[in-house]
Amino acid sequence: MSALRDIQLGFARAVYADQLGEFSHAIRPGRFPAERHLQVYRNNVMLSLTEALKAVFPVVERLVSAGFFGYAADAFIRQHPPRSGNLHDFGAAFADFLGEFPEVATLAYLPDVARLEWAWHEAFHAAEHAALDLAKLGAIAPQAYDGLRFRLHPSARLIASPYPILRIWQANQPDVHDGQAIDLDQGGDYLLVIRHATDVVIEPLTRGDYDLLARFDAGETLSQAAAEVMAAQPEFDVGAALRQHVARATVVDFAREPFNYANQERP
Amino acid sequence: MSLAPTPKTRAASAIPATAGVGLRAQHYKELISTRPNIGWIEVHSENYFGEGGAPLYYLEQARALYPLSLHGVGMSIGSTDELNLDHLNKLARLIARFEPHFVSDHLCWSSVGGDYLNDLLPLPYTPEALAHVVQRIDAIQDYLGREILIENPSTYLQFLDSEIPEAEFLTEVAKRSGCGILLDVNNVYVSATNHGIDAEQYLTAIPATMVREIHLAGFTVNRYPEGDILIDTHSAPVVDAVWSLYRTAISHLGPRPTLIEWDTDIPALAVLVEEAAKAQIILGEASVRAA
Repeated sequence: MSALRDIQLGFARAVYADQLGEFSHAIRPGRFPAERHLQVYRNNVMLSLTEALKAVFPVVERLVSAGFFGYAADAFIRQHPPRSGNLHDFGAAFADFLGEFPEVATLAYLPDVARLEWAWHEAFHAAEHAALDLAKLGAIAPQAYDGLRFRLHPSARLIASPYPILRIWQANQPDVHDGQAIDLDQGGDYLLVIRHATDVVIEPLTRGDYDLLARFDAGETLSQAAAEVMAAQPEFDVGAALRQHVARATVVDFAREPFNYANQERP
Repeated sequence: MSLAPTPKTRAASAIPATAGVGLRAQHYKELISTRPNIGWIEVHSENYFGEGGAPLYYLEQARALYPLSLHGVGMSIGSTDELNLDHLNKLARLIARFEPHFVSDHLCWSSVGGDYLNDLLPLPYTPEALAHVVQRIDAIQDYLGREILIENPSTYLQFLDSEIPEAEFLTEVAKRSGCGILLDVNNVYVSATNHGIDAEQYLTAIPATMVREIHLAGFTVNRYPEGDILIDTHSAPVVDAVWSLYRTAISHLGPRPTLIEWDTDIPALAVLVEEAAKAQIILGEASVRAA
């Protein structure tokens, strides 16, 4: 192995695993002990990645306090260091990590709040897409609608939680000082996170709308999705819901064949 | 008919030897609506690696108003991992869309074994590292089909193995790979102070013809019982000592496009524009002398 690679592997271990070990011999002795030199880099790395997480998960930070967030972020960064030089990708595993972090086990809603914030972050950077072309839909014979697969806007993310995470999210925005207690038993949320132009919005959905959009997102045809949704909720009007989601540009395209998401950044 | 220049002429004209500022998200709207009197803008390439949304929307508008430089912090040029083609692809896509005048990254590495550290980590200045960096820059320039600029980093440690002075290493990289140099005068000051090197000697060791761009920024000081370590935080105004070093650099190099960088505790846009105006005065004096 090359001397250069040895240095890089030793450096990374010294930063992420706190093991200076043999690597200290690679550092030229100067005014400071080797550990001091390395500590500057360790601080830079941990601080910049913690800031990156804070920027994506400000509500989680506010819920657990800045001090505890730093502690959790430190553990997360060491377990899940970034795997690309594009920081937009960093933090995808944070919600699941919080779900297994013993210190926040009593905050059962916290991982879902983190999922909501990650969905917001993804929606913010997702691709643009025009509204559904009604002329293209008009060219389809109505009897063929059943076989169509409808596609959601690239920014659309669906989140379901047994906790009132939208209320929690709203009460913990920077300019909000909502002292009212939130009843965790008030019921859960079905949410759509989506970007209109440059603005990300979070919209509460009915159970039926959530199920329909989730089945579209999973690639089911209209008839498959409708059958499943109506088996659970016979009174749900699939046609009206579809028209509404087309009008609001939640549903933006359709095809007879399954969509190929290979080139898309999907969760 | 549109009065906007066609993309071809945009790309062909070089950034003039004027002062610009680093554009960050909090200043998008103000920059676009007030159009401050600055020569050009620079952004961090990776902040625009998304597929859509606000960053690209605002960069499109800012690009219509100012010459643009794309400055990378995540290419990990010195890494012994395989070149990250996904990263390069995203950069190539950005270059095709925004037609920047400069594309740059750092003389550093930031990843190994697939793990990224999100920092500009130092290289040992050895013949092995030199050959490696040259080969990587060759590959990147071939892939992008254009010259890139390489910036000297701020460093906080030196390797025992390092046998080539940084200025000489950087010059040799540029000579062998044909890349340009982005000379960060603040980084020269920070590294020189941290390692007890002569900053002016460093500057004058860099051949003027290779330097395409200059960076200026502020640092912070970490105090320890054994002494101070300067940290390149881009969080403060440019200090007097760095302004003085900048004058030396300009008298050695001639006027060069100069950028004010500020990334932490980012102040009002007006503060950045004011810093740029100071650099512009020094550039103006040099142009008069050169005439």
